[in-house]
Amino acid sequence: MQLRLEGVGKKFETILALEDISFSADAPEFVCLLGPSGCGKTTLLRLIAGLAEPDSGRITLDSVDLANTPARQRGFGIVFQAYSLFPNMTVAENVGYGLRIRGETAPRIKARVDELLELIQLPHFADRYPWQLSGGQQQRVALARAVAVAPKLLLLDEPLSALDAKVRVELRSEIRDLQKRLGILTLMVTHDQEEALTVADRIVCMKNGRIAQIGTPQDLYHRPTSRFVADFMGISNLIDLETARRFAPSLLDGYAPNAGEIACVRPEDINILPAGSGACVKTVQFLGNISRLHLDWPGGQLIVEQAGESSLAPGAQVGLEFAPHKHVWVAAS
Amino acid sequence: MSLARFADADRLFVAFCLVVPLTALGLFFIYPLATVALRSITEPGGTIGLGNFAVILQSPSFWRATAHSLIMSGSTTAVVLILGLTVAFALQRCRIPGSALVMGAVALPLLMPSLVQGLGLIFLLGRNGLLTKATGIEINIYGFWGLLIANGLYGLPQAVLIIAAALRSADARVYEAAEMLGTPGWRQFTDITLPNIKFGLLSAGFVVFTVTITDFGNAATIGGDYSILATEIYNQVVGQMNFNLGAVVGIMLLLPTVLAFYLERVAAQRQFGSGSDSAVPIAPTWTPRRDLPMTMAAWLIALLPIVTVGVVVFASFVWLWPYRFDLTLRHYAVKVAGGYDPLWTTIYISLLAGAFGTLLTFSLSMALQRLPRHVVKPIYFFCLLPAAVPGLVLGLAYIFAFNAPGTPVYALYGTAVLIAICNASHYWTQGFLTTMTGLRQVPASLQETASCLGAGLPRILGDVVAPFMAPTIVSVFFFLFMQSMVTLSAVIFLVTASVSVASVSIMRLDEAGFTSQAAAYATCTMAVVIAASIIMRLVLRFATRRA
Repeated sequence: MQLRLEGVGKKFETILALEDISFSADAPEFVCLLGPSGCGKTTLLRLIAGLAEPDSGRITLDSVDLANTPARQRGFGIVFQAYSLFPNMTVAENVGYGLRIRGETAPRIKARVDELLELIQLPHFADRYPWQLSGGQQQRVALARAVAVAPKLLLLDEPLSALDAKVRVELRSEIRDLQKRLGILTLMVTHDQEEALTVADRIVCMKNGRIAQIGTPQDLYHRPTSRFVADFMGISNLIDLETARRFAPSLLDGYAPNAGEIACVRPEDINILPAGSGACVKTVQFLGNISRLHLDWPGGQLIVEQAGESSLAPGAQVGLEFAPHKHVWVAAS
Repeated sequence: MSLARFADADRLFVAFCLVVPLTALGLFFIYPLATVALRSITEPGGTIGLGNFAVILQSPSFWRATAHSLIMSGSTTAVVLILGLTVAFALQRCRIPGSALVMGAVALPLLMPSLVQGLGLIFLLGRNGLLTKATGIEINIYGFWGLLIANGLYGLPQAVLIIAAALRSADARVYEAAEMLGTPGWRQFTDITLPNIKFGLLSAGFVVFTVTITDFGNAATIGGDYSILATEIYNQVVGQMNFNLGAVVGIMLLLPTVLAFYLERVAAQRQFGSGSDSAVPIAPTWTPRRDLPMTMAAWLIALLPIVTVGVVVFASFVWLWPYRFDLTLRHYAVKVAGGYDPLWTTIYISLLAGAFGTLLTFSLSMALQRLPRHVVKPIYFFCLLPAAVPGLVLGLAYIFAFNAPGTPVYALYGTAVLIAICNASHYWTQGFLTTMTGLRQVPASLQETASCLGAGLPRILGDVVAPFMAPTIVSVFFFLFMQSMVTLSAVIFLVTASVSVASVSIMRLDEAGFTSQAAAYATCTMAVVIAASIIMRLVLRFATRRA
């Protein structure tokens, strides 16, 4: 099963929502569409679902053009942020709805529904109505409803955003497990980079209707190709060429950056030398497993992370050491 | 190939859902109104010209009726706004005992033909009225004062509903902030409350003005010699058979109503257009200094409709008003053509009107949701028009359009179906707006999920949209049913010897001097409407039990 997008574009009146989107994904991949709000990721998901039509480009599934296939003929599963369970149907009726439309017999629907409710760990909820479930339970049912019909493609539109932090973390690994077990090609829209890093095989990072970078979570985190991606995926210290030459020449070891490039250094890739000098601790934030320090440095402000609780206090003079070859140089704009 | 065909099936379905209601509106609303316009410029010799307008504009009786209409509607509006604000404030911002009872009492006149208020006043203050006999003071209730009270009772519930909604949308935190700044209670009322419900008050004012200036039932029972535009149309058409002059007066009546309706829409938009969901509702605490007088005032105002309607029911059981108060059922043996047949016909008509209106507004709203904005806007506007057209004008339009031998639509003339259609178009706007609001509340993602699961449009409507909107559909159906049960103004022109409706029978009985029998007939009609409203509540409870 291969989903392929070629030069897909979409306009809303005069606003360009998507421009020249091309990528492909193969089952059983889990792909995240990641980006800030308004970057066009949800629009892209809707185009793939068939809920909206692209103005240009092609979307194909196993080389078959989907342009003339309406949403209800595509056989994809979809899960929205707002649960979207049919309020007039029980859990079992919701999960079995797609099969009912396909004309399955009642006993076979029941068997499949039971199997899925077992899978999402809600076996005794068959006769409940959506309003009798918690948010996390509703979203599990929505997931079961989407996969009940054995979809060729599973589309998830910010499925975890409406949930509490704890439930969110639980459910995201459940989604991942379910997807692995069923082997369905899955596309998930999210604005949460941590979520994308945790679950995705590959991430499509988007900005202003264009793809900024495609790659594995490791690629995007450790090898961003643009300032936007470096900034969006976690925290980066951005150091321009001139500053690097004067205060951090080790960043230039073995590399001759082009004019206008900047170095991205992750906070965990800077070591603090308590006996040294050259920087001054401004604030110390305790985050439990790590401590995050803001430092005044001649080249500007730096953010540095240390494991555990920091022994340093604001005002302390410290030295800095940049871990060799952990940084990348990207274009400044 | 087959895929493309399926996609087309959905499009075809949307087109069908759009075309059927639009055709109906064209044939049963626009076309009849166009005939009114045409008749108004058709001169006695058959030529086209403004002669009829010249005749009407030079007639002193027209100007007298216009002046009366404006003075009467203006005064009624002023009085109703003050009373309406009092009741709405008492209900929303005070803690008064029996608030549900007060609301129920105020809403009572909506459940019966507007003739009933007139009848009630006659029983109380007429020549043989209870109060007249008790006090010995005879005031002439027929005319301005009678109309003012009767129309006031009719307009009050509508004003209370709108003003109460405006009061409800306020945010408690604003008042808490004022409290912290040391603002006294009355300053909070004049500085915060009044400015914030300004447009709600305007909207209520225009609604009351419109229902008052177009009402015919009260004018027919208690208007006496105080001629207004509505009675002027009726007299031109029924009294003098001057259909074309009636059309001219109808168009003249259309001017203030369309203007008032337009202003009402603007005001309502300003008041309710930008509602925020995050407001903290106001929960008033018991404040005797404020709540005791407000309770008195609200109860006194609520007493008016209770007494007026109650006296009609009572009088229908009294042997000989006001001389012999033995209870009897003799007035229920009504001496009017057809007896109770018109009541059964009315129920049939109202069921039909409810079914037509609900089905067509649902189908149109559904289609509009799937069409681009530039197509939706003109249709939406077109759907607002029926609310601006007075019932008498619509009724007149129906005679012109359908009592036309030789045209294919003539077959409908004189049938109950045509009266049902007339009622459905008369109350189209309210039904349409309610349906649109209900449909907007169905989450788009529900329909999209069903679509992705493979459901076609008819299936989505049946399995997802209709169950979700069931309360709205039920409300629209019963709204149309109840309005059709009690309306008089449009249908007065459409009844025939064999097909008539309850409100016309009540009017005929009253005209013939059988006031007690009119009261009996009105009581039966009320019983049907009240039963309908109880059934509606039960059905709604059933429909929303899972929400």
